[in-house]
Amino acid sequence: MSIAAKNHSGWLLLPLAFGLLAALSPALSHYALEIGFRILLLVTLAEAWNLLAGYGGLVSLGTASFFGVGAYALTGLLNLTAVPLALALPLAGACAALLALLVSGAVFRLRGLYFTVGTLALAEAVRLFMINSDSFGGAIGLFLAQDPPGLRGLYLIALALLAFTTVLMTLATRSRFSILLRAVRDDEDAAAQIGVRPFRIKLIVFIVASFLTGVAGALQGLKLGAVEPYGMFGIQWTVNVLSIVIIGGQGLRAGPLAGAIFVVVLGELLADYPAVHLALTGVILIIVIRFAPQGLAGLALRRRDARGERSA
Amino acid sequence: MPNLEVVANSLVSGVLLGGVFALTALGLSITLGVMRLVNLAHGELLVGGSYLGYFLLRHTGIDPIAGLALVGAAMALLALPLQWTLIAPLAAKGMEAPMITMFGVSVILQNLFLLAFSADTRAIDTPYAARAITLGPVTVAEIYLIGFAVSVVIVLLVHLLISRTPFGRELRASSSDAAAAAAMGVDVRRVHALTFALGAACAAMGGVLLGTAFSFTPSSGGTYLLISFAVVVLGGIGNIFGTLVAGIVLGLLQSLGAVIFGDGYRDLVGLVLFLLALALRPSGIVRRAGHS
Amino acid sequence: MSRNRTRIAACLLTAGLAFASLSAHAADEIVIGASLPLSGPLAGFGNYQKWGYETAVNDLNKAGGLSVGGKKMRVKLVIRDDKTDPSVVASNTETLISREGALAMLGSCTPALVNAGALVAERRKVPLVAGCDPLGAFKSVRKWQYAWVMFFDEGDLATAPFKMLAELGLQTNKKVAILHDNGPDGQVVGGMIWPDTAKAGGYTVAQKTSFPVDTQQFTTMIAEAKATGADIALVDAIPPQAIAIRKQMASAGYKPKVLVMEKGAEPEQFAMALGKLADGVLVGGYWDPSFPYPGAAELGKRYETETKQTQSQHIADSHAAAQVLLDAIAAAGSLDREKINAAIARTNKSYVIGPVKFDAANTSRIPITVMQWQAGKSVVVWPKDRANGKLIFPLPAN
Repeated sequence: MSIAAKNHSGWLLLPLAFGLLAALSPALSHYALEIGFRILLLVTLAEAWNLLAGYGGLVSLGTASFFGVGAYALTGLLNLTAVPLALALPLAGACAALLALLVSGAVFRLRGLYFTVGTLALAEAVRLFMINSDSFGGAIGLFLAQDPPGLRGLYLIALALLAFTTVLMTLATRSRFSILLRAVRDDEDAAAQIGVRPFRIKLIVFIVASFLTGVAGALQGLKLGAVEPYGMFGIQWTVNVLSIVIIGGQGLRAGPLAGAIFVVVLGELLADYPAVHLALTGVILIIVIRFAPQGLAGLALRRRDARGERSA
Repeated sequence: MPNLEVVANSLVSGVLLGGVFALTALGLSITLGVMRLVNLAHGELLVGGSYLGYFLLRHTGIDPIAGLALVGAAMALLALPLQWTLIAPLAAKGMEAPMITMFGVSVILQNLFLLAFSADTRAIDTPYAARAITLGPVTVAEIYLIGFAVSVVIVLLVHLLISRTPFGRELRASSSDAAAAAAMGVDVRRVHALTFALGAACAAMGGVLLGTAFSFTPSSGGTYLLISFAVVVLGGIGNIFGTLVAGIVLGLLQSLGAVIFGDGYRDLVGLVLFLLALALRPSGIVRRAGHS
Repeated sequence: MSRNRTRIAACLLTAGLAFASLSAHAADEIVIGASLPLSGPLAGFGNYQKWGYETAVNDLNKAGGLSVGGKKMRVKLVIRDDKTDPSVVASNTETLISREGALAMLGSCTPALVNAGALVAERRKVPLVAGCDPLGAFKSVRKWQYAWVMFFDEGDLATAPFKMLAELGLQTNKKVAILHDNGPDGQVVGGMIWPDTAKAGGYTVAQKTSFPVDTQQFTTMIAEAKATGADIALVDAIPPQAIAIRKQMASAGYKPKVLVMEKGAEPEQFAMALGKLADGVLVGGYWDPSFPYPGAAELGKRYETETKQTQSQHIADSHAAAQVLLDAIAAAGSLDREKINAAIARTNKSYVIGPVKFDAANTSRIPITVMQWQAGKSVVVWPKDRANGKLIFPLPAN
């Protein structure tokens, strides 16, 4: 099949898949909706991180701060203002994006490992600040005054979020922007020499990723009905997202989905052995890095290409 | 504003504790400088040292600080196969892969500790672990003073090791230009392995001191990871004396933050300082020629 | 690449439907779900609760099972680890209800975790019975319908030391230093009730400092406490922090005559980690095997024989919570959740934890006693009618 034809069939199948997942929702049990929600949310987070780290080369360990800001912002908006939910979610994402904007000046002065460690320190600083600060509820956190939508409603919102994310990711990776991004990732200084503006590119990617992370956090906060700093700003979110993208395959479009399904299914299977589950995740992470640096999606791709070569 | 005695006690305690921070950060500094390894499992190596010291005391009655060298050696021996199997094969693959590997190691170790030792909080219980000592107008914890003294001694020893011994020469050569060093006959792989072991040993010894002064659980490594990073960046990667000074300064400033804002803000103060240091030095602290 | 995604999406759908159709329990079985902190900072509490829940259920099954409307049914208890994370409690509660088919739930431990599970149960209209959640923190979230808690009230806990001091006529300089974490009950007990009760009793609050729940160093606040010379030190923190504070008090040379450490000094790991330093530390408690409640002494002995560990009061409130729930299901005579919920509301019986009767706010209050660590053992020292040992006063010099 020609490349053009391949692309066209791709454009059709994606919206079809989303439509199918939405239409089937009344038939899904609560458990399926719960698992579905979790996977959808994690894929969104992973796509955002993939954009930042896989495509942009900015390995960030600060996911949790934007996630938490989104959650708290949503709770605050719904509790204190009359803003409807449909508006509050993107606004919460915007708050996270605002944080990204504020720290970008400082954080982008750092390169490579300094950037990574810097984002880790940032996440920890934000977490400590939220724990100490009484104006945001301190260690107790905040409670959502209204009842959140039912599980089916949350599932559909998550589906919509992922659809939006997919569109953004497609735009980012298939347009001219992707070339600029790759140039900045591979050699920032050289890119600057030929007229690319690295800071602006990095900023766009950072803001987009933080926005998506923030909306995901807002959705999680909505579902829980209660936000507090240890659960929302804790490192476990960063760990999960990192694991998903690495295991799934970074810098690949199918990576986040493959990784999220793998991690969630593993988690459900080992639900009764949590320490084993976590240790196993660490082991898998190491094995993947060592033997399959392109992750599960990369392995699948290589096999498909190998098969294609053999038949050619 | 609290009274003078409180302030003086706090600041002196901060300086002394800073010495211990320097020791724990030392290992991170060396591995970062020589191997370009962002060791995200550093906190777990530290807590591992605490557990080693705890069980050494429990089963043999040997005081962990007297037996500090034992703990360090044990950790070094444990670290060598880790480096050989997990890190060495990734030597040519840039900075990200080893960093994520160590991240995986950190998760594994935390859960190994949990499975093996349960989640119970432990503390190394020696007679001087919770004793006060009065030096003139100030009263400080005796363990802080001991910890400071021990840390300074070890830092000096490591400095001597790096500046005076043949191994030290090879280490310095590998860190400034690994390719050139290899061309000169230095076995860079062996240097990396031993450097990692040395770093792990320093972390473990720091862990014994901290485990005696405070308490530890399987997941308490994370806090010390960030403090160590802050010290390393402030002091200059690979700069031994810089690390000592930075540790002391950080301890002092943390205590100052505690006096002004409260103990809860200690870590936050440390992190803000760290972020400032990172931000104000655009390309990191010590820029090595030929490396970014 | 997009085709791969579609394939994967189809797999996801199939997997989801497969999971959905998973029926994890037999027809004549009742499933009770529980999410507990079996790892993370609260793992100690979680393990006690696990024993309490499991023992109550196993005993019932051995006696023939639960009698529901004339039919004998086996009870299956499904426990999930929530890693001391509220998000996990919420998702565990959801999966226990939807995948395992739990009829009703038993709660986790501490406000943040119990709340997270209770909010999900409330939304799904599933009855949830819990101990391990101070009543004030529970009531402040919302008006509950399906969640029920039996535990002590923070007010009782906070006023107990002062009542004890007055009743036993202990001589102090009436100066109080308060160190509390900024968690929900820390704020209530340390931030509000302690200062108010102190002032009302003619004491001076010489210091009041709050700190985040996971602080490690307390040097400055302890130095300040020492500088005030307060004879009475009241601390509210979880075990790792309580242990650190006790050590650092000794390292700073601060020797109050009375040292109360709420929450943190409760479990055995506190005494084990501190050795002699734990002696004399006071902590509020709500149960001891020596109490005159049905089965109290036997439960304590049984725990120690089975697990070779020292008993903790948490085995009692969890055991009682499970029994309350099981009794309510039997009393309802049906598997209808509304009827079970109504039956829980009608509970009026003495269990191993004491008399249980829920008020309009879905809470049942357990009275507080004051306990003290003495040579590695927890001794009840107040009130007189519950005491099984003599108070050590002042705090022994180490």
